[in-house]
Amino acid sequence: MKYFITTKPAALVAAGLGLMLVGCSTNVNTYERAQSEAAPSYVADKRIITDNTLAGTFRVVSINQATVSGNLLKIQATVENLKNKSRTLNYKFEWVDQDGMAVNSPNETWKSILLQGRETQTISTVAVTPRAADFRLKFRE
Amino acid sequence: MKMNSSTKLLGLLTISASLLLTGCETVTETRTIDSQGPEAVNTSAINSQDWANAADQLVNSLLSSSALDSAPRTPAVLAVDRVINATTLMIDTDLLIKKIRVALTQTGKIAITNTMGLGERAVVASEAAELEEMQSGKKQKLLVPDYTLYAKLIQQTDRNKKVTQNTYSFQMSLVQPKTGLTVWEEERSIAKQTKNAGKVGW
Repeated sequence: MKYFITTKPAALVAAGLGLMLVGCSTNVNTYERAQSEAAPSYVADKRIITDNTLAGTFRVVSINQATVSGNLLKIQATVENLKNKSRTLNYKFEWVDQDGMAVNSPNETWKSILLQGRETQTISTVAVTPRAADFRLKFRE
Repeated sequence: MKMNSSTKLLGLLTISASLLLTGCETVTETRTIDSQGPEAVNTSAINSQDWANAADQLVNSLLSSSALDSAPRTPAVLAVDRVINATTLMIDTDLLIKKIRVALTQTGKIAITNTMGLGERAVVASEAAELEEMQSGKKQKLLVPDYTLYAKLIQQTDRNKKVTQNTYSFQMSLVQPKTGLTVWEEERSIAKQTKNAGKVGW
């Protein structure tokens, strides 16, 4: 019975910590079709990481593209918050034309999105000019 | 050379005073920032980043829809209809509309008419058309808009003891005048919570 006396405080502390964590977390549970019906056109991406903390907070799960309004490129990135708390992500899409020149579209601005703990969300943009052939997606804290 | 105690004290006081003054000095510092970036000052009102976000989301929605695919010509002629500001803010609605105009014009799918609606320099454009008529002796043929764009800004304020929340809704509709049908509609909202300042009771 001595065993119970020594383990009781530890168990109480653990339970308290557990309750605290549950109270603080804003994690999101997600449910979706097991076999997806969608057939996205995925983009093979290249990643240049200069902020490891940021890369450890947000992960780009996938990037896919489509053509809308006849000839405009649409890019969608699926982003995951790797932390258990809600975090704000600042992101920006930039466009590049066929010759590698920056397009400087009016929609190339920093935007913010709030992701709950462990949540996955999509961010997307449409190129406002048919000249846009490539894109760059930038993240910052 | 020996300093007496009063000179020493005076020297110390002078140094302390100068240090204090340096500490209190507030230097005005101005830096250039990205007006639509995260450094923009966030207030309970609509800031520059909010305008950019709202315009971008509305343009994305319009271009992602198939509304412009069935346009009778390219570029389709668009007239900007009323933009109603139903918020408590004194704002120039061009902060939203201009961004949308620029983006839509760059697509090459839309040309915005300046001779009716809220077209820019509509007065000058009309005068130019009149002058052209006088000089050529021919009646100017104005293009009838294929679409009209209508927008409304709404503010809803909710309060509790701790927080005030302002929700700004940006509503936009694209109407085909020929049929009177709304071919695209969108509503995007931005909600801003501000912690209420603590009150001192007497």
